[in-house]
Amino acid sequence: MEFIGPAIMHLFEPLNILLMVAGLTGGIIVGALPGLTATMGVALMVPATFAMDATSGLIMLGAIYAGAIYGGSNSACLICTPGTPSSVATTFDGWPLCQAGRADIGLITSLLASVFGGIVGTVFLLFLAAPLARFALQFGGPENFWLCIFGLSTIAVMSSGNMVKGLLSGAMGLLVSTVGIDPNAGVPRFTFGYYPLVQGVEVIPAMIGLFSFSQVLYLIGSYKPFIAEYRPAPGAFGEVVRALAGRCKVNLMRSSIIGTLVGMLPGAGGEIASIISYNEAKRWDKNPERFGTGVIEGVAASESANNAVIGGSLIPMLTLGIPGSAVAAVILGALLAKGIQPGFKVFTATGDLAYTFIMSQFAVNLLMIPIGLLLARIMTKLLSIRLTFVAIGIVVLSVIGSYAIRNSMLDVWIVIIFGFLGYFSGRVGLDTGAMALGIILGPMIEENLGKCVHLSKASGGSVINVFLESPIAVLLIVLTLLSLATPFLLDWKRKRRDCGCDIAQPKEESNHA
Amino acid sequence: MKVRFLARLALAALLVLGLAVAGDAYAKYPEKPINMIIAFTAGGSSDVQARIMQKYWSKYSDQQWVFVYKPGAGGAIGFGEIANARPDGYTIGGINVPHLVLQPMVQKAMFSIDSYSYICQVVNDPQAVVVRNDSKFKSVKDVFEFAKANPGKLKIGLVGPNSGHHLMFLDVKGKFDFPVTEVFYKGAADQNAALLGGEIDVMFGNLNDVMRSLEEMTVLGLAAEKRNAFLPDVATLREQGFDVVSDIRRAFVAPKGIEKAQLDYLRETFKKICDDPEYVSDMKKAGQPTEYMDGDAFAAYVRTQNEFAKTMLQKAGLLK
Repeated sequence: MEFIGPAIMHLFEPLNILLMVAGLTGGIIVGALPGLTATMGVALMVPATFAMDATSGLIMLGAIYAGAIYGGSNSACLICTPGTPSSVATTFDGWPLCQAGRADIGLITSLLASVFGGIVGTVFLLFLAAPLARFALQFGGPENFWLCIFGLSTIAVMSSGNMVKGLLSGAMGLLVSTVGIDPNAGVPRFTFGYYPLVQGVEVIPAMIGLFSFSQVLYLIGSYKPFIAEYRPAPGAFGEVVRALAGRCKVNLMRSSIIGTLVGMLPGAGGEIASIISYNEAKRWDKNPERFGTGVIEGVAASESANNAVIGGSLIPMLTLGIPGSAVAAVILGALLAKGIQPGFKVFTATGDLAYTFIMSQFAVNLLMIPIGLLLARIMTKLLSIRLTFVAIGIVVLSVIGSYAIRNSMLDVWIVIIFGFLGYFSGRVGLDTGAMALGIILGPMIEENLGKCVHLSKASGGSVINVFLESPIAVLLIVLTLLSLATPFLLDWKRKRRDCGCDIAQPKEESNHA
Repeated sequence: MKVRFLARLALAALLVLGLAVAGDAYAKYPEKPINMIIAFTAGGSSDVQARIMQKYWSKYSDQQWVFVYKPGAGGAIGFGEIANARPDGYTIGGINVPHLVLQPMVQKAMFSIDSYSYICQVVNDPQAVVVRNDSKFKSVKDVFEFAKANPGKLKIGLVGPNSGHHLMFLDVKGKFDFPVTEVFYKGAADQNAALLGGEIDVMFGNLNDVMRSLEEMTVLGLAAEKRNAFLPDVATLREQGFDVVSDIRRAFVAPKGIEKAQLDYLRETFKKICDDPEYVSDMKKAGQPTEYMDGDAFAAYVRTQNEFAKTMLQKAGLLK
């Protein structure tokens, strides 16, 4: 604890302040551009850290990470394209808000929710790193398998209007994810003799295609002059603060905790966290049908979860050397190159570094408010540019961004193919969010099921034994069943409420007569 | 008119002469930055190791390396890129064995071990038998005895399938009675997490990856020819009575067909880097076990590994 004082003093060093601001700004821009992801942004700056000392390098990478995860929400709201995979759930309510002319509310909500989530995640990192890391280790094959199935079951809730179509899209996504190398046998599958397909369909180009490219096709087809009308109301900031502090309190807290927990698990990242917390927010809300029409609660749930993932993913990274997300893996690489050994000793032997880094995460989250507001204001200018130019810009960025992931033309083709797929799916009512979820979760489900099958050899030959041996897995199974039952519960809740209104009506009529 | 014609002729002659002179300048290799293809993601072990090398490369050459990341398929995509690049001396890359040997056999990759001119080996990362600190196994013999007494009950973690760990496992199963339940993981991070979380009891891991979580794990034995400087108290498997040697080698290569003069330059400069004591200490700080082997010896090593892997996979029925 004696490290905290000097750690805070370190933060005021001019180089560190510069790095925090520059990292945040760069991170937000990288996150907002569809095609450039947080992982890429951090990885690009890792060589720059070799020239500075470990603490400053770590502060910069952490600032970029936080900025990028928040930045993804900007494009999610403004052009219905998640800037990073973690912002998929933000498009569900952010985009309708923008179309209704209230993009400012969407942007401010995601900013403040991100800050809240980031701070909660960092608090867990500061105080509970050791016990939480041990808990995260309890998640193995069966637990991760059921967590992913639970994630998939959210499709049922997401598309409670038409569950069959939702499940169909999810299944299509799962099918797409099987292309590539079989995780359990190590041989190529569904490559049709075209060798580059052995890498499989990368999630990010598929999402860029499904969301931004298809969106461009839709916008062009709609002949609208601008993406959306923008009617900024002067009291927007205050309105959002009142809403968040008022009716969204529980939502924010719950989503941030979900984000931290999911972030801690190696293998599960921002995408899963934000979708699960969106789902939970919808389930526990009094009027769940509002979700998807443009409500603050939806954006707040998604954004606070994905920023809380940052703190969560750093917990096992620092204490065990096991990164909780792809970006944490890159940061781990930078740490190792500097000769810093992760482990529980990291808080004592290199305590100065560790605590300065954690304190810098707090500072970065606070700095995000002014910087984020400024950048958001600039981004909303996007809405006043003619649609033609914006559409061209999006297509260019999508192509460049998807190529930049692994320098492969295959990814560019994936964007185009999935763009058309997403456009036509949208016309038929198939949910692209469900498809994206299938593509993200497919490989993890298969890999973990494979592990369960292997483990069953030691548990008497049955996979069911493996599932039942783990209390966490059993809990997740119960949650999944609850999740699948939710559409029926919501239906029943709504019917009961509508019934109540019918009974009330005759009394009112008689009053007015 | 005639003057203009003569002037143009003179200009043309000058240009041709200039080209001839410029042609000579190529002997000053390298005269532009060299592409370094890394077949794994940025921030990973291969990347970290190459960055450390680049720091020392700059001492001997004023041309930089431009890092190009081509991850995917366990390295196969990147290895294929190197193999198919132009052999003009301006594209080189890092490769791993046994990946290089296994992937063409199992995945029908776009390269083979003959697609490269080998520069040198830089890392020899031996496999290790690792358990948790609180494990009841205190030696490799304990592990084998438990496995024999309780067939199928011992859970062992490997990265794979079709990897260095898998090859070691097949080798062990072929030489000793080792009835265990094997579980495959996508990468070392997942494998480490599984061991620490108790999902598996033992793992065959790489020294480099184990170094990250060393305070939580105990290394019972190293599948190496001799003891390693990082863990001088850990006996090799041979010393403990188990004749198993298995490791992952990292090396740098250029596409086949590169000019001999350029290959020699690369080999010499890499040797100078590997001999630099500061480079060795940087690698030690990063937990990377260095071992230099020159290009030709390494090429011979790759061939022997190829034969070994083919036999192992055929015996296990994994090769059609």
